[in-house]
Amino acid sequence: MQFARSLVPDPIIVGISGGVDSSVSAKILKQQGYEVECVFMKNWDGDDEFCTVEDDYKDALAVCNLLDIPLRSTSFSKQYRDNVFKNFIEEYSVGRTPNPDVLCNKEVKFNAFLNYAIDLGGAKIATGHYARIKRNGKKFQLLKGIDESKDQSYFLYLLNQHALSKSLFPLGELRKSEVRKIAKESNLVNFAKKDSTGICFIGEQKYFREFLKKYIPSKPGIIRSHDGETCGKHEGLSYYTIGQRKGLRIGGGYGNNRDPWFVSDKDFENNILIVSQGIEHPSLYHKRLKANSLHWIEGCAPKSVENLTAKIRYRQQDQECIIIHINNDTCDIEFAEPQFAIAPGQSIVFYDGNICLGGGIILERS
Amino acid sequence: MLYFDHAATTPVHPKVVKKMEDVSRLDYGNPSSVYSSGRVAKSIIEDARSQIASMIDASPSEIYFTGSGTEANNIVLWSMLYNEKKHVITSAIEHPAVLKVLEELQYFGVTFDVLPVDSTGLVDPKDVEMAIKKDTGMISIMYVNNEIGTIQSLQKLIEISKKRSILFHSDCVQVIGKLPLSVLKIEADYMTFSAHKFYGPKGIGFLYRRKGAPLRPLVIGGGQESNIRAGTENISGIAGLGVAAKLAYQNLNSRIDHLFQLEKYFKNNIIQKLPHIIFNGNNDQHIPGLCSITIPRKKNEIVLAKLDRKGIEVSNGSACSSGTVGSSPILKAIGVKDKLNKSTIRISFGRDNTIQDVSTLIDAICEIAGA
Repeated sequence: MQFARSLVPDPIIVGISGGVDSSVSAKILKQQGYEVECVFMKNWDGDDEFCTVEDDYKDALAVCNLLDIPLRSTSFSKQYRDNVFKNFIEEYSVGRTPNPDVLCNKEVKFNAFLNYAIDLGGAKIATGHYARIKRNGKKFQLLKGIDESKDQSYFLYLLNQHALSKSLFPLGELRKSEVRKIAKESNLVNFAKKDSTGICFIGEQKYFREFLKKYIPSKPGIIRSHDGETCGKHEGLSYYTIGQRKGLRIGGGYGNNRDPWFVSDKDFENNILIVSQGIEHPSLYHKRLKANSLHWIEGCAPKSVENLTAKIRYRQQDQECIIIHINNDTCDIEFAEPQFAIAPGQSIVFYDGNICLGGGIILERS
Repeated sequence: MLYFDHAATTPVHPKVVKKMEDVSRLDYGNPSSVYSSGRVAKSIIEDARSQIASMIDASPSEIYFTGSGTEANNIVLWSMLYNEKKHVITSAIEHPAVLKVLEELQYFGVTFDVLPVDSTGLVDPKDVEMAIKKDTGMISIMYVNNEIGTIQSLQKLIEISKKRSILFHSDCVQVIGKLPLSVLKIEADYMTFSAHKFYGPKGIGFLYRRKGAPLRPLVIGGGQESNIRAGTENISGIAGLGVAAKLAYQNLNSRIDHLFQLEKYFKNNIIQKLPHIIFNGNNDQHIPGLCSITIPRKKNEIVLAKLDRKGIEVSNGSACSSGTVGSSPILKAIGVKDKLNKSTIRISFGRDNTIQDVSTLIDAICEIAGA
């Protein structure tokens, strides 16, 4: 047998999850004439009932068979546990609200998986993210996906130049509705599959506290209103997030009216959860924050940005802001408008128009 | 495509396909029915049973058809629930179809000890003796290992069990077509087999149960298979299995010789080109045509993927349902450390492979391993 090795270009390795987005990415690349191979990643090694890995694999396999694309599998569960999950639990234990998807992208998809794909002989990797990569001279820029409501650049702000130079986001120029349409027209089994929500290893949001309890012991205390009135009990500060409304179990008997209650602060010293009534309550809003662990996609902080904006949570509208003070690792930010529920542990991601500049982790607000 | 994973499964022999096709098309009768088509169906089953029995020198009444080798193992092991002595001795290199069953049986009062193996995969008979307790009711040790091909010194182990009146079960799924087998020599009480490992169809296996050895059904119903495995018989599968068994024992010696030739060619040539590779298993006691090789510093997933790209199919032991491959517990049991474990691939040759095929395989591995 003869191997015409040189005639076959190196493949694009698509990280496929069994969901519609990565499946359509593979489909588009194949249609564009690339050699395409898919890799299914199993990154969670717990045997939690919430985990849908087997069904997801079957969907990925069905898609790959239909598209005539080889499917391979691997597991980065060790990397996930060491570099993502450990941090996730540590952050929650100290009462912060981490963003594991951001770390997962940095450590697993655009590091472990990227290296694996290169090892496999891949030219580049591709994923189903809604974002774009633009080459600007020697630099690679990360741009928002054109579908503003789906844009995932927020989760990708920790990527570096190397990762961007080796990645493709075939969905960046598409709207979600178009992606579903392509999936349906191509007869992909998962064209109507629900988007995954929340954190991959926990599954449905309603299990969240239950899940955390397995790793973080409960530490009950009282809930007190911003005005100093005791109005309930909490199970442990770690289980609550700033801005949280559901699951506080504050009866209608408290407060001046029927407005909902929100978590506005955590008093770690006294183990008290502080809540405020009504979404307009001033204690829920802050104009300034301090962030650390800064990362800039171009490698260093941008010199000056005329119309700097930021998001402090996924899918938030861009918020006008200025950098008051900055050094290598930390910065102080002031927003033009007060921001609702700034949650320490979450990422703040900076933009110049459509360009995602980088970001950091929220340390505190004021 | 070049297929070198015959320990995982084998292509169905054309004669088997033909037989199954004929039976499926023509002999649709229910073997339990008393009219003509039922009787014909019944006779197809009994012919296959006799065929299989004679292949291993057993009596037809000692053969039970099952849905798989796994199911056959399950029937034997679950029968332990009815045994007075509920302790089982097994080895660290058993298939999950034994080890996981025993884990499950713990919830029902069965206890078990897992014996270590040496660096070639052999159980030390002395360890078996030492592990025997008052309530040891069964020893379950596989004849041939599926990942490294080691042939266990089964006769010695069976001798020990016989002396103590302990039942002996052996998973023999990897044996047929690679090793002569007679129940007159290997006097186990139970042996389990699977058709698709020797050019038969999937979804059919069988159990040999020595006359008199206790056995209880797992699937209960209409009394088929002498009340041991109820459910209307898979007639075409059984017929296919019968043909496959017959074929496996026609010219067994020349077939074994063919596999040895391929193995020898592979080993001699690859070691010259890749002197740093490691062969796992037992040099003297192994089935022909199965090579477990470790290529240091090459992840087996990557090697497999690159071979797959060239249309060459080999494996790295047993993959799980979502296709990922962890490190192999069998390699771990013979002392292969984690990094080397994940750098190990298994090549298992079959009747249709040629020296030319093996030569292609060697070139491909060398290209990927960078020699």
